[in-house]
Amino acid sequence: MRPQFSIIFFTTLAGMAQGLLFSLAILDIPVQIFTQSFLSTFAFPAALVLLGLGLIASFFHLGRPERAWRAAMMWRTSWLSREVIVLPLLIAVTVLGLLYSLTHEIPFWLWIAIIFATILLWICTAKIYQCIRFIQEWSHPSTLMNFTLLGITSGWMLLGVLVGLSDGAKEFPLNSVISGISFILLFVAFNLKLWIWRRNRSLRPKSNLASATGIKGTNIRQTSMGLMGGSFNTREFFHHQTERAISNIRKIVLLCAYIFPMILVAYSISSPSNVIFILALVIHFIGLLAERWMFFAEANHPQNLYYQRVS
Amino acid sequence: MNPKNETADHKKQLGLVIDLNVCVGCHACVTSCKEWNTSGSAGPLTDLNAYSANPSGTFFNRVQTYEAGIFPNTQTVHFPKSCLHCEEPPCVPVCPTGASYKRAEDGIVLVDYDKCIGCSYCSWACPYGARELDQERQVMTKCTLCVDRIYSETLPESERKPACVLACPTSARIFGDVHDPKSDASIAIQERSGYALMPEWETQPANHYLPRSIMETIEAARKDS
Repeated sequence: MRPQFSIIFFTTLAGMAQGLLFSLAILDIPVQIFTQSFLSTFAFPAALVLLGLGLIASFFHLGRPERAWRAAMMWRTSWLSREVIVLPLLIAVTVLGLLYSLTHEIPFWLWIAIIFATILLWICTAKIYQCIRFIQEWSHPSTLMNFTLLGITSGWMLLGVLVGLSDGAKEFPLNSVISGISFILLFVAFNLKLWIWRRNRSLRPKSNLASATGIKGTNIRQTSMGLMGGSFNTREFFHHQTERAISNIRKIVLLCAYIFPMILVAYSISSPSNVIFILALVIHFIGLLAERWMFFAEANHPQNLYYQRVS
Repeated sequence: MNPKNETADHKKQLGLVIDLNVCVGCHACVTSCKEWNTSGSAGPLTDLNAYSANPSGTFFNRVQTYEAGIFPNTQTVHFPKSCLHCEEPPCVPVCPTGASYKRAEDGIVLVDYDKCIGCSYCSWACPYGARELDQERQVMTKCTLCVDRIYSETLPESERKPACVLACPTSARIFGDVHDPKSDASIAIQERSGYALMPEWETQPANHYLPRSIMETIEAARKDS
């Protein structure tokens, strides 16, 4: 598939916001550890900015953005439609959180609503890809696990940065603990990605030219796709990159999304430093963009069988 | 008595049956489709840079060419491909706006261009690559089975067929109700082992293809030699 930058930015930015909100809720529910001023001036505004940027990015995916409201209609059958409903819902509960944090403590039910909305949005987003049964790279629960885990990881690291910048938590040995958990999350996400790549390599395409054309006989090959100019089919479903570019981007994913941040957060477990943590997050986010790019590039669409050769 | 089953049995499903024995790959179905639909209710079908280096256009129908076998026992197969009007169309439930729909009355899969937001999700959900986003209008387009021809009250009755069917010089395209066992389309599927594309995804396409009978002769010759 052609990597779509609108979706790459939407899923990474919104994922990070979801991870941040999810981490805030998980930490604050058992013992209230965040100050109101931290929540109202750092955490909730950061989540809202990310969600807003993600929302703007998602509009660039549409050919007719002025009709976007129509996308909420078919929630009974379409995961995309469900996502279109859940995203504003998450923004709404986050705004509510911000308003509460200005004057009150965040009530328990609101944290639960926030957790609920973040998880729901991860499910909707991942299911959009996972439910396409003939894109075999996507059609697996690991798609949801990967989106969720990377969202939590990047959001957790952002929480670490915000806490470092604000000194916003009460009596919490934050830096070391946040660094330690960041390391564990990165490590688990890293292993999941390696597992997904192993699975992708071992996939056997269910469709081939024999099933796509039904031609009986051996050694079927296309001699003409029927057009010499470009078409939607030749643009949308291919990544148009060389093998070498793909392998380089895969290295960027490994190094930037996982290995460099792991080294940096491991270092900051023993000697906490805001600068190092911010650096880790920035590198991780660049890696995350590359990871999402690869998510599309790696997906093989069976329609490509019909578009092999120009003559 | 079960009236619900009764109607389900007679539910109309229009489609095309394409005879690979006689398709000569002339692309008349492609050009006639483009001509009718670019000026009909489904159009215009944009062509960008039509006369310069990188032309790009929207088409509902393509004729592709395949080869099979090993020299000297080879065959060239011309293979027209358009929307197959699946009975279980995976493109329809994913549409977030309801712009993509399957008509209950005749099984044609259509796009309501006034509702489409151009998110392309339906095209990802079609394993056949039957849908094309129009670059100028930024809405998803696809074969309509010439829905504006087949029910026309102004065209002569003999012309109330898809443009591609009328244009085909070898009658390689048979149009009809594949649920009606007496239709030409159903008889062709029945008698000449019509098959569906990518049966592995259980989309149950209405369009069927008639296999080249000469392939069996070639395979037999290959085994003899």
